[in-house]
Amino acid sequence: MKRNGTPSTNGKGVQLTMTLDGEKVAFTRGETVYEVAERHQKEIPTLCYDPRLEPFGGCRLCIVELEGARNPVASCTMKAEPGMRVRTRTAALEVQRRILMEMVASENRDTDVDPMHGYASQEMAELLDRYDARTGRFEGALSGESRPDDDNPFIKRDYENCISCYRCVRVCAEQEGDYAISVMNRGFHTQITTEFGGLLKDSACTFCGQCIQTCPTGALGDLKALANKDVPGETETTRTICPYCGVGCTVDVMTRGEKIVGVLPAMDGPANEGALCVKGQFAFDFVGHPDRLATPFIREEKSGQLRPASWDEALDFAAGKLRKVVKDHGRRAIYGIASGRAPHEAAYMMQRFIRAGLGTNHIDNCSRA
Amino acid sequence: MAEPGNDTLVEHWKDEPAPLLPLLHAFHERDGYLSEEALRAVSRGLRIPIADLFGTVTFYHHFSRDAAGLDRPRVCNGPVCSMRGAEVLLASLRAAGHDPMTMPCPGRCDEPVPVIHRGTVLTGRTAGTLVSGPSPLPPVPPDGVEECVFAGIRAPGRPTLAGYRSQGGYEALEQAVTGMTPAEVVDVIDASGLAGRGGAGFPTGRKWRAVADAPGEPKTIVCNADEGEPGCFKDRVLMDHDPHGTIEGMALAAYATGAVRGFIYLRYEYPETCDILEGAIAAAAAAGLLGDGILGTDFRFDLMVRRGAGAYICGEETSLLNSLEGGHPFPRNRPPFPVTHGYENLPTVVNNVETLASAPPILVHGAEWYRGLGRADHAGTKVISLSGDIARPGNYEVPIGLPLRELLHGWAGGPPGGRAVQAVTMAGLSGGFLAGADLDVTLDEPSIRSKGSFLGAGGIMVFDDSRDMIRVTRESMEFFAEESCGKCFPCRIGTQRLVERLEGQGPRAVDAWVDEVVDLNEVMKKTSACGLGQAAPLLTESLIRYFPDRVRAHVEKG
Ligand SMILES: Cc1cc2nc3c(=O)[nH]c(=O)nc-3n(C[C@H](O)[C@H](O)[C@H](O)COP(=O)(O)O)c2cc1C
Ligand code: SF4
Ligand code: SF4
Ligand code: SF4
Ligand code: FES
Ligand code: FES
Repeated sequence: MKRNGTPSTNGKGVQLTMTLDGEKVAFTRGETVYEVAERHQKEIPTLCYDPRLEPFGGCRLCIVELEGARNPVASCTMKAEPGMRVRTRTAALEVQRRILMEMVASENRDTDVDPMHGYASQEMAELLDRYDARTGRFEGALSGESRPDDDNPFIKRDYENCISCYRCVRVCAEQEGDYAISVMNRGFHTQITTEFGGLLKDSACTFCGQCIQTCPTGALGDLKALANKDVPGETETTRTICPYCGVGCTVDVMTRGEKIVGVLPAMDGPANEGALCVKGQFAFDFVGHPDRLATPFIREEKSGQLRPASWDEALDFAAGKLRKVVKDHGRRAIYGIASGRAPHEAAYMMQRFIRAGLGTNHIDNCSRA
Repeated sequence: MAEPGNDTLVEHWKDEPAPLLPLLHAFHERDGYLSEEALRAVSRGLRIPIADLFGTVTFYHHFSRDAAGLDRPRVCNGPVCSMRGAEVLLASLRAAGHDPMTMPCPGRCDEPVPVIHRGTVLTGRTAGTLVSGPSPLPPVPPDGVEECVFAGIRAPGRPTLAGYRSQGGYEALEQAVTGMTPAEVVDVIDASGLAGRGGAGFPTGRKWRAVADAPGEPKTIVCNADEGEPGCFKDRVLMDHDPHGTIEGMALAAYATGAVRGFIYLRYEYPETCDILEGAIAAAAAAGLLGDGILGTDFRFDLMVRRGAGAYICGEETSLLNSLEGGHPFPRNRPPFPVTHGYENLPTVVNNVETLASAPPILVHGAEWYRGLGRADHAGTKVISLSGDIARPGNYEVPIGLPLRELLHGWAGGPPGGRAVQAVTMAGLSGGFLAGADLDVTLDEPSIRSKGSFLGAGGIMVFDDSRDMIRVTRESMEFFAEESCGKCFPCRIGTQRLVERLEGQGPRAVDAWVDEVVDLNEVMKKTSACGLGQAAPLLTESLIRYFPDRVRAHVEKG
């Protein structure tokens, strides 16, 4: 993610400044006009922008008026220069943005999608509201061909709602480094595709889900979360760390009542900046899975069969066996491995138990793999 | 001889400059299409992710992904050819057992209807009468008109090195490398007032100076020979009949800017031109006019031809650079401009063929001479490609400032059959139409821009008073919709919506129709990311301006 440092100087100690809506503001060399404007709460609309990606310049909603330029310029791609005079919200710009929103709405089947589709899925709908875009204008052909034939369990590919912002393609290349998807054809017929138009599972896709989370229309959807879209209750999010591995990605776990209904990547997570992998993104449904064990089991020594037991009985049994191992072979004969699927608190307890309880450092977690 | 294997082709190209397009062409020509296996070999060999490569290949009109796709004859359905029986030709090709496909204007509007079949351009009206042959030479100008780039082009033998040199060819280069500093060459070009002839009209001397001054090596000269604008076929005649003029111009640009490598980015639709250029480059190199130690000095310049594959946007200079580099040919965001961040992000001159071909005569005859060729205050000349309903279509090198009507009626004989001019296009299609009293313009940017249009690359298509201007506009807009790269919203969606409205969809009340079309026009003009989307709405804008009654009838017909 690009961080804005302290305003820089021209090397002679004079601060670089430009004029933004009549106000003189300082900026850092390399900052774009959009970034400067964001720092000043200008709320310039965008659809093809993701602060983590190289600016692209496709949607043109971020246009601003630059003194001396014949046409408005895209603020996301324009570097700030000393002395620039920029206006971010003139009547003419607002009309152009409204028409652009009406145009882009005209190519999609749905402009109102369930938020469970993904992190950014409401961006387009919010801008349609903000600009009070007149729906039904510019009626004509719809663009994009959905891929209901792609039966992967994670990513819904509903390109009839795609607006060709290419954020998915860019996040896959720039953030994930997979280069699994690309743009085929041109003009109104552009289409997000894999190599030779195949299924995601036959491509270089690792199902990290980043494309879903950057998609501003819900054309890409999180199928795991969408399966829970009718679970009753308000969605609450809880900030936590993915337990699966040592990267330590920050996530916002979505719950409704007692049920985990989905996972959102934290765009401000220091380790991941909005990135996740297939496990952190999608592998949460074991928590409420009906196949989960609901009681302890003890394996019968003679028959090798598992039989249900009470907690007391199971714990006594385990304690007895552990004591015997320590007695016969010493405390270093014990090695504890905690599960990445257990809560962090349980992992912590396990570690205390092995270290303090048994007096050995032989403790690990599968997430180190 | 056995066909070269995949590895042989990949090995041959992978360490060459700008290898993707030539390598794809090699597979395309070997197999008659681009197979999955071929693309996987290219992907591995050039280390391009396969999904990206697949997407990029689908961008180009002329790369076929279906077996034997290269065998399909491609028939022009551009604005001129559609009036001259493209449909009849298509039908007769089908009847003759072919499976023809259409293509946008391939730059032979002075000899409709062209067909490209397996690397040869044929012209004719029916399958049985198609013939191949050199592109037409420019008609002789009226007495007393002095030309710059066409001055020697009609001389026999001009395309050969000996023929070119017998008329003083390569004297400008010799004069420059042996007797002038690079800065002096830039000064002459600057003083001549030469401005880009590819459409945007940027002063050439300033461009060369910017590249000369820019830090970063190696520098590159790119000759933009993509000429994709419908109704433009001037660069072709220059390259076909005077290839050394362009080559010498590029060498001069290289000397002036310190560039050591050059590419001619040639449109796919000019296959014969490719052979001519490659022959001329080889001859020039053999004579010590290209390569190392040019004319006995330590000036060095290597020149290569790279063929496009059918994409109008690849004529836009930054899209062209992406295409050369093997990337997806979306235009780049500017700034930065190619003069500092061009080919491989290094300083690059991108100039049109005509611009470059103007440099040698300017250097020989001087800046004052060139300035003096224009009328009134205008400097120099401009080649106009004239086609459509006109008695003598062809390329005319006119003094800048010549009245349009003088060209149409005085030089080119007016519309045939005693008809009147209803409208003309400007800048090929990009300038939209001029009609009525606005036909009184003179051929210079200030005059034409004052009418909301522009001269651009200088293609003018004439439509007489029998033509249906709604149909002409619709077919023209289909071109832009077809060629929109898909990068930016206003153009990607706007061109499509305008086509639909010209097809009879959209609001059925004229006020509502015009309201939508004007909104589309304005937003495209103001917010599109490149010249394509900014220019396309000039068609609908001028249609509404000049033909309001036709618009009303079209919308209300039900
Ligand atoms: C859509 C589009 C297509 C273009 N096609 C061509 C072309 O085919 N040939 C060309 O020389 N310039 C073309 N241009 C202009 C180039 O971007 C560039 O300005 C030109 O090559 C610079 O050379 P010049 O200064 O010598 O004219 C095109 C521009 C646009 C926006
Ligand atoms: S699928 Fe979504 S992110 Fe990808 S291009 Fe379409 S709208 Fe943009
Ligand atoms: S398992 Fe995946 S999502 Fe979880 S921390 Fe590791 S990389 Fe991040
Ligand atoms: S104006 Fe059209 S051709 Fe140019 S970048 Fe935008 S979509 Fe592409
Ligand atoms: S946000 Fe700048 S063009 Fe889309
Ligand atoms: S060659 Fe057919 S329109 Fe130009």
